[in-house]
Amino acid sequence: MLMASFDLQRDPEDDTTAIVQASYIYNIAKLVEWKDAGMRQGNFVIGVVGGANLYQELIKKYATKTIGKQPIEVRKLPRSVQVDQCHILFVGENELDLMSGIYETVRDRSTLVITQYAGALEDGAVVNFVKAEQVVRYEMSLPNARKHRLEVGSTLKQLAHRVIE
Amino acid sequence: MRKGSVIALLFCFGWWGVRAQDPLVEGLRAYQAGDLERARVLVDSAVSIPSHEEDAEAWLLRGFVYKDLYKQRSPDSDPDTLRSRALRSLDRCRALDTERTFAQNAEQAYQFVARSFYNDAAKALQDGREDHAIDQFDRFREAMAGLPEEGDLDQREVDFLNALGTAYTRRYNEDRLDTVVFDKAVSAYERVLQKDTGNYGANYNLATLYYNHGVYNIQQLGVDNDLLSIELIQQVSKELFKRALPYMLKAHQMRPDRKETLLGLEGIYYSLQDDERSEEFRTKFEALPPDNE
Repeated sequence: MLMASFDLQRDPEDDTTAIVQASYIYNIAKLVEWKDAGMRQGNFVIGVVGGANLYQELIKKYATKTIGKQPIEVRKLPRSVQVDQCHILFVGENELDLMSGIYETVRDRSTLVITQYAGALEDGAVVNFVKAEQVVRYEMSLPNARKHRLEVGSTLKQLAHRVIE
Repeated sequence: MRKGSVIALLFCFGWWGVRAQDPLVEGLRAYQAGDLERARVLVDSAVSIPSHEEDAEAWLLRGFVYKDLYKQRSPDSDPDTLRSRALRSLDRCRALDTERTFAQNAEQAYQFVARSFYNDAAKALQDGREDHAIDQFDRFREAMAGLPEEGDLDQREVDFLNALGTAYTRRYNEDRLDTVVFDKAVSAYERVLQKDTGNYGANYNLATLYYNHGVYNIQQLGVDNDLLSIELIQQVSKELFKRALPYMLKAHQMRPDRKETLLGLEGIYYSLQDDERSEEFRTKFEALPPDNE
């Protein structure tokens, strides 16, 4: 009898969580305004620390697109607190030990930090992926957005699982 | 039954020579000579005359003639008419044969013809002609219902439906937008489980079918999806993952050491955002010896 098969090493194309997160990140990029004039020119940089499957999904589907007139550039960053200047910085759930250092590095930058761990918004993340009712959702902190000179669109706020005003 | 056996049977009744003009005797001679077309004309004629229309032996011969015509048919002939006539004749023989003189021969021939429908159904599935396969299987089931002992009919139906589900799944994998074949695959496996709730293959394949459909929906996310559609697609996929879960759990319960069900559960729970249970099944998988299949 012919049986379908599963693969132990989850391929990026089967990593449903990474696929959904990448799609959210692209939408977040479109629905947030970077107030610093310097951030509205050149490439639109999405940096990824950890999250190998997410990185591959971003490369595969979004790396040739633009945000406004800015071409998207997806960068795989080394596992370090010394991260590049990015518009969006995603830090994977296996890199939690780097988080406090990364928050410190980007403290004065106009960088939207996206994470996926409990209490991330309280620590300084702007957007945090959460599991809610068996799907991937996101929560966001508007005070943290303002600290990084980011203006969040109303749709992004309305459809969030939780918003810290 | 071979031709010699029929001939011997008719000899016993002493027809040979005394009823030389009888179309049944002439038909037997033609059959004996291998002239099946002439035998058919004669035996058709024989069973329509009063002296043979209630004659079990005449109907037996007619059944054999049509069975052999089916076996030796040309590729462009209609096999179903030949088989249908063979079955009706053999059935008529059995009904008239109150002494059960010809019962064994009639039933053997009847089973041969009936099973040819099953074989054709299997071949049609291999050729990707699912509708024809269903038609042939229905004919098989209908024919087998005419036997006093249906034998392994239920098991045959389970095997056929499993193969049908696999054929539809193959089609769906070629075109994931074809939800009609997806529904047909689901229906085939569900029918297996109605007959045999503990069928491992149907449980595993149905779970995989739902799971893969859910994954496929999410894989289609891209630049055209806004926030609302991301949520909607996730909800649809979540329902598919939830449908997959009980079937995969059942398959795992039946064969706890199979790698494929452990990986299936790991994947389903992962997609349902249940990391703890996903990890639990990944750990079980990794604990299996490498040669476990």
